[in-house]
Amino acid sequence: MLVLTRKSNESIKLGDDITITVVEIKGNSVRLGIKAPGSLRIFREELYEKIKNENIMSLNIPMEEFEKINKALGSK
Amino acid sequence: MIKFSTTRFGVLEADEEKIINFSDGLVGLPDLKRFILIDHKDTPLKWLQAVDDPDIAFIVASPDIIVDGYSTDLDRTVKNYLQLENENDIVVLVILRVSGEDVIANFQGPLVINASSRKGVQTILERSHKTIQKTS
Repeated sequence: MLVLTRKSNESIKLGDDITITVVEIKGNSVRLGIKAPGSLRIFREELYEKIKNENIMSLNIPMEEFEKINKALGSK
Repeated sequence: MIKFSTTRFGVLEADEEKIINFSDGLVGLPDLKRFILIDHKDTPLKWLQAVDDPDIAFIVASPDIIVDGYSTDLDRTVKNYLQLENENDIVVLVILRVSGEDVIANFQGPLVINASSRKGVQTILERSHKTIQKTS
């Protein structure tokens, strides 16, 4: 992993289109500003991992479980 | 017309324009790009079947059949990504699964589809969103 030291208000560039700026450092938190093309999707890693795990658990559901889901939703 | 095999539904044929293109795949599953939506007869549920992997099919549903008032507040990024021209073309679906006796709907990672261009994306909602569980 590339490791760089940056101070508050300093930035790094990822290629030509993406700039990540250290906006504020407070205790053990760092606020980052990200400037990137409008269609680039940016996620907090822990949320990304959570959704990824949900997807993996959901991608091959057997028919019996389909019935269970159908039954549960029938009673909204 | 394309023809592809599936574990659950046998060999399927579909018009090219029925295919939903998730050009970045789903979150954590970047190779799953082409899907087809199959209504499950007499239920509000649908299968989101991968065209390129016979085993992979998600159970999905409109969030409205599960909870009232679910909103995704789609941001500009998602709309740009889907090249959305008309808000009415937005279709939102959530993925469902079973965990023990509960049914879990993934409200935090909804699928958003542009019904007119048939482009899709799985978005991640930032605000904390309880995964709703419903005991069957």
